[in-house]
Amino acid sequence: MKRLSWTRSIIYFVLFIITLAVLIPVLNLVAMSLSDPSRVKELTGLGVIPKGFSFINYEIILSNPLILKSIANSVFITIVGTFINLFLTSLMAYVLARTNFVGKKVVLLFLIAIMVFEPSMITEYLLMKDLNLLNTYASLILYKAINVYYLFILMRFFQEIPESLIEAARIDGAGHFRIFTSIVLPLSKPALATLTLFYGVYHWNEYFRATIYITDPNKWPLQVVLRQFVVKQDNTTMLSGMDMSAEMLASLDFGSLQASTIIIAIIPLLLLYPLILKYFTKGTMDGGVKD
Amino acid sequence: MLLPGIIFFVIFHVIPIIGMKLAFQDYRIIGENIWVGLKHFKILFSSPAFIDVLKNTVIISSMKIIFIFPIPIILALMVNEVRNGPYRKYVQSVSYLPHFLSWVVIAGIWISFLSPNGGINIIREFFQLPSLDFMTSKEHIRWVLVFSEMWRSAGWDSILYIAAIMKISPQLYEAAKLDGANTLQQMRYITLPAMASTVITVFILNLGFFMNAGFDQVFNLMNDSVISKVDILDTYVYRIGLLNGQYAYATAASLFKGVIGLVLILSTHFLSKRFTGKGVW
Repeated sequence: MKRLSWTRSIIYFVLFIITLAVLIPVLNLVAMSLSDPSRVKELTGLGVIPKGFSFINYEIILSNPLILKSIANSVFITIVGTFINLFLTSLMAYVLARTNFVGKKVVLLFLIAIMVFEPSMITEYLLMKDLNLLNTYASLILYKAINVYYLFILMRFFQEIPESLIEAARIDGAGHFRIFTSIVLPLSKPALATLTLFYGVYHWNEYFRATIYITDPNKWPLQVVLRQFVVKQDNTTMLSGMDMSAEMLASLDFGSLQASTIIIAIIPLLLLYPLILKYFTKGTMDGGVKD
Repeated sequence: MLLPGIIFFVIFHVIPIIGMKLAFQDYRIIGENIWVGLKHFKILFSSPAFIDVLKNTVIISSMKIIFIFPIPIILALMVNEVRNGPYRKYVQSVSYLPHFLSWVVIAGIWISFLSPNGGINIIREFFQLPSLDFMTSKEHIRWVLVFSEMWRSAGWDSILYIAAIMKISPQLYEAAKLDGANTLQQMRYITLPAMASTVITVFILNLGFFMNAGFDQVFNLMNDSVISKVDILDTYVYRIGLLNGQYAYATAASLFKGVIGLVLILSTHFLSKRFTGKGVW
């Protein structure tokens, strides 16, 4: 065993402190959400072990119809949205990567122009209004349905598929759509997995478009409800629609209820975190600053 | 097969961009908008509120570049000193995590951690410092923005630098060790020079997004007591346009921001091409 040098030991220690700085604020909320409401006051801002143990905060949160509905909305938007993202992105990436047509250069230039100039949130809002898409999930699913940056990542991947495979299929009489579905897509599973996670995380975390496009609380995704609760401190909306005795209300700790809502919003990301790490790291290193 | 994609971009990108001509019009709920030329821009630039917003945007963006930009580089250098194994994996997995949380979630975490009974104030108490309500303190709120952004992105942003470091040939380090170079000297003479082009590219890219100043973050960490210190261009557009319904006026502010952003991105693109051979696209 080689002994750690002084410099190394200091670095190991500093990195340890950094990871604590990331973890403690999160674990403190976990501890708060799992503490017994009557004892949660004993928990300090740095504590990571629940005082007492109780699922009551989660039971209350998950019996709130508004929150339950919003979780269902988020799951729906994330799944359908990601599917449509993948379909549109891969279709366009295939055409741009594997075919030659007049005006391809123009299309590529057009895409770059779109990347550098974003429309105003005002005119985007007015467009959704004109299309009668306000208060629909479609507005959230169609907004940024193709991310140009991800499109370019997928294009680069499609370009690396050996021409011989595609040539062979063409000789067997396969058309473009056939080649796309039975050769290019199956060969691109790692890239598609990366994009699924990119788009999926985007949809799950999206709150701003939902804040401005969706005014009907029953259609809100979880992030908007969470924002209402945690950022705007709106406890009335949070408790509406729930049958609770005055006694029960008095025993609640709002901080802990907020904490458990935050944790619920993080759980799907934590469950997928090993996959996210694997594919995001790869996708970012391949697509980010390219050498 | 190209059609669905093109139709999508035309409807959801080109039409709202063309729609930004609204900046030169007055908005009418019924009937055609009428052209008013530069009216909104004139009001915009003579309005002290807008000038304050512009100042805040520049100050917050500059603070972030100055104080956050070096952190991922330092982090990458440190992670590089950790041998491959469980500890390195732990450090990387933990430091990347905040990048995947939404700003709503991060705001929730920070509001709690910075509250008068929160973790930071417990640490302050330990050092015998008085308790502070950071979220409503005009003096501290911009630092809250800097540190929460650092908390969220420093880990993840170190990835590009770590990738650059991993491309360095181990032989260089072997040779340096034979010549008696210590850890710090190896960092200074091998690792840092090898990262230089990545550092320049990332820096230039950041400049290109200078006018954004982190809308999602400010939007979720802002409150009435500190609004004068953190109101940036995009939050202003949101409030004036979407909350107050002054669509045309807000679009003018948006267009102003968009044009500056465009100039910045184009010039940084060509700068980057010149210095590193790599552009933004």
